[in-house]
Amino acid sequence: MIAIEALIKIVVLVVIILTIVAYLVLLERKISAYMQDRIGPNRVGPKGLFQPLADVLKLVLKEMIVPAKANKFIHALAPVISITVAVGALAVIPFANYIVIGGQKISLLIANVNIGVLYILALSSLGVYGITLSGWASNNKYSLLGGLRSSAQMISYELSLGLSLVGVLMIDGTLQLDKITMAQSGGLWNIIYQPIGFLVFVTAAFAETNRLPFDLPEAEPELVGGYHTEYSGMRWGLFFLSEYTNMIVSSALMVTLYFGGWSLPFVNYSALGANLAALVQFVTFFAKLGILIFVFMWVRWTLPRFRYDQLMNVGWKIMLPLAILNLLGTGAVMLALK
Amino acid sequence: MTSNRNGKSGPKLTLWEKLYFPEIIHGMSITIRAFFRPKFTRQYPEERWVPPPVFRGRPVLVLEDETRVERCVACGLCARVCPSLAIDVQAAETELDKERYPERFEINMLRCIFCGFCEEVCPEEAIVMSQDFEMTFSNPKEAIFGKDRLLTPASSLKDRLEFLKQYR
Amino acid sequence: MPKVTIVDDPANGTGKSIEVENGTTVIKAAARVGVEIPHFCYHPGLSVAGNCRMCLVEIEKMPKLAIACATQVSDGMVVHVNSPKALEARKAVLEFILINHPLDCPICDEAGECNLQDYTYSHGPGHSAFEEAKNKKPKRVPLGPNVVYDGERCILCSRCIRFMDEVAKDPTLTFVERGDRVYIDTFPGRELTNPYSMNVIDLCPVGALTNRDYRFKARVWETSSTESICQGCARGCNINVWVRNNEILRLTPRNNSDVNNYWICDSGRLESFRHVNSEERLNSPMIRKDGTLQEAGWDEALAHAADALKPFSKDEVAVIGSAYASVEDNYVLQKFARQVLGTSNIDFAAHVVEGSEDNFLIRADKTPNAYGAREVGVVSPKGVDISRIFDLIGSGRIKALYVMDDDIVTGKEVEDLLAKLDVLIVNHWVSTKTTQLADVVFPSATFAEKFGTYVNFLGRVQLAKPAVATLEQERVPGRFNVSRLDKFGSAFDRWNKGPRRNVRSSWEIVSAIGSLLGGKMRYDSAQKVFDEIAQSVPGFRGMSYAKLGDRGALLKKSKEEAMVR
Repeated sequence: MIAIEALIKIVVLVVIILTIVAYLVLLERKISAYMQDRIGPNRVGPKGLFQPLADVLKLVLKEMIVPAKANKFIHALAPVISITVAVGALAVIPFANYIVIGGQKISLLIANVNIGVLYILALSSLGVYGITLSGWASNNKYSLLGGLRSSAQMISYELSLGLSLVGVLMIDGTLQLDKITMAQSGGLWNIIYQPIGFLVFVTAAFAETNRLPFDLPEAEPELVGGYHTEYSGMRWGLFFLSEYTNMIVSSALMVTLYFGGWSLPFVNYSALGANLAALVQFVTFFAKLGILIFVFMWVRWTLPRFRYDQLMNVGWKIMLPLAILNLLGTGAVMLALK
Repeated sequence: MTSNRNGKSGPKLTLWEKLYFPEIIHGMSITIRAFFRPKFTRQYPEERWVPPPVFRGRPVLVLEDETRVERCVACGLCARVCPSLAIDVQAAETELDKERYPERFEINMLRCIFCGFCEEVCPEEAIVMSQDFEMTFSNPKEAIFGKDRLLTPASSLKDRLEFLKQYR
Repeated sequence: MPKVTIVDDPANGTGKSIEVENGTTVIKAAARVGVEIPHFCYHPGLSVAGNCRMCLVEIEKMPKLAIACATQVSDGMVVHVNSPKALEARKAVLEFILINHPLDCPICDEAGECNLQDYTYSHGPGHSAFEEAKNKKPKRVPLGPNVVYDGERCILCSRCIRFMDEVAKDPTLTFVERGDRVYIDTFPGRELTNPYSMNVIDLCPVGALTNRDYRFKARVWETSSTESICQGCARGCNINVWVRNNEILRLTPRNNSDVNNYWICDSGRLESFRHVNSEERLNSPMIRKDGTLQEAGWDEALAHAADALKPFSKDEVAVIGSAYASVEDNYVLQKFARQVLGTSNIDFAAHVVEGSEDNFLIRADKTPNAYGAREVGVVSPKGVDISRIFDLIGSGRIKALYVMDDDIVTGKEVEDLLAKLDVLIVNHWVSTKTTQLADVVFPSATFAEKFGTYVNFLGRVQLAKPAVATLEQERVPGRFNVSRLDKFGSAFDRWNKGPRRNVRSSWEIVSAIGSLLGGKMRYDSAQKVFDEIAQSVPGFRGMSYAKLGDRGALLKKSKEEAMVR
């Protein structure tokens, strides 16, 4: 019963997320167009709304070219790792509280793991394998450089990412994401308590998702696409999907940790009834998610790429000390208030 | 210590700028303003643009309306002045007063750079830049325009001829 | 010997001094020190007329400007060619000429090589004080079968009239009318049919006289011009070959006072290059298979020819050289005959049209290199000349024949004789009766497609350079005289797609067969062949392409020979 319930939730979630991802691509193209005084894709369907379908169709039909001297198995495996890890992280994101069907309380969390935050951090560290392996397996110097940059970048920013979260965890005293949401639903959002931690987290999240201004593993001008230079067709499509899924995961994590998750201040959910409350919560969550994703894209089309040494400087000399200071500061304040 | 790759020190930054995040916010404010600005994109195949006479499109040969004879006397000056060697003219003798005419006149539109030198050098105002800028070819041979595709009645080039009269 | 000083740069007043013979004109003295005085009516090959007034110069101690073409030098004379006064006068002369000269350079064939255009550009006023309409005169008048006259462009320098009078000794042309209505015409009832008539086209300093054959075919600047030797007769007139799109469009005479001066005959100018552009050109080696000639690759055909010649003893083979082929070709052929085949059955066919010569340029011998062929050894010391070779073929003694660059079939008898041969190998540029009888045919390069030397009837060795590219010989700067189109065109341009023929020089073909038969004859270039000739043939001793230059060099004669001549 539990297994079937989980399976249904997984299928529904994956379908929803992948659809969202497809439309995020369109959204990104539209946003970039508007920021550059253009209109963007508007030919496929009304206002270009069927563009994602066309894109997917193209990717599926396109030949997947494998370089002659590539490691064929790992070349095929790498994008699968990337997308698996990205989608897997969604399992612990609480999109809403619970719904009641037939008197049965069904949590809208796929897996209520008691170490949810750790689980996400662990999976996102695994994501680097997909990129590094693809870079190595392609047998192409640019791909390899992209892969190497990616691993160096991930290691550098993982530290700040983890440490910046600790402040939130200390305040709420839990690693379970739904409990962190609960904790914020009554009072103030964590961003009020943890502004510096949030900044460090956002920066690190950009770096972890390989988005501009930290997309050095791809770096088209210097690495001609970096780790996915030798990928085409749906394999390339998987990398693309995982990048956007990662963006959703990061944004969802931010919503949950800093912006009160599905909760809204001054709303009494118990008065609404469980299912209506869940709907409101669901909408709330996705609205917050949407805003954050917009910010992701907004930043991408505003800032140019960092230089590699700058990236390392920011990671080790600014973000890491800031995260540690934030941790110590939080600890000191909590101690003083006790 | 700010230094770029050449080891030279970069611009002096104020403390505010060094904080970095305020500058990022500043940059983002610029892009978000662009986001809401009205757009001027022309929906090309449906909305066509009619170039003004000053526009230099595909060079064409002027065909006189009454006599149906090309103005060109095949002097070859356009071929000589053409910086991209796009024009090939073969002259021949004719019984007409102008004595010579182009037996073959070819412009390789893959070589043409639309500089308008041919029009400028032409002593007969026989080659002018038209308003046609939409050209697609499916092979290089198709891009070589012979007299059949170059000859254009003077009446349909009135704008450009008028413009040349006025400004040249 | 009077000493004259020519000052061409007004800023540098010292000028250049030279001692010249009495009676030398100023313009000639200036030319000697390398100063060109602008002129229209003066021509070094004609008498002085002095009617254009273009060559006005300022001479110290003379009250007025003097025309350099008619003023003889005297000792101590100082000539200011470009003094302000002289320049002013030249400007006025040009403005005067341009009053009625139409400004239709774009449609004028002379443009690009027009004296009036050049001088107007360098010395002209740049404007005209006259607003009146220009004169109307007869246009497009055919003076003869080859020359068309445009009265409006004519500046009445009278060079053409003087040429017909003095050089061709056939006064046909004259001025008619008077004043500003003057134009040039033939005498009533006469036509410009003289065999040298077309020289007036080169003489004309403007575009008034044009070549019917070349009229409107190309602009001068599209063509490349290459120094060559006329193939029309044994005179070996020096010429320039004008090529566009790898096709010869015209020939013009090149000055060589030892051979043709400034002139060339009409048939040489019009006919001697036709075979290069001919539709009949052979474009591939051919081997006779099953009774018909079939195209083959070079290596296959060369091997086939070598195999075909192998079985015959030295008395069973004969070789016929050519007075049309270059010295190099003939030298390699005789070396092939003597050293590889071991035969001395060698000669070439003469092409003499008795009575066709005149006392000016045209010779009865219609080949450019008969002397050269004989000189390098295409003659049989044992008296097995061409008629004896035919006899031996008839009696079946000679079974294999190699014919280079000539059509030896003069009638039915020769055709029957050649049919008797076991093996006939022929090099030629076009399909002839001889090639049609051959077992192996090699397409050979014409004079315009190779470096080659020719010896004229006076024993002058002269060099012709390649003007037309073959399939294997790229038209590249340095090896070829190239035009702008050649230089910047690409393989994708249509005007760069002129016919490129699959031919080789005869020396290349013969030496390749010789090598296959075990002979030591490998040459990289015609120049290498000529270097060997210069060492082994006494008459050519010490010569090289560089030493031949533009004017050629005379064969060196041993004393006895010189006395016999």
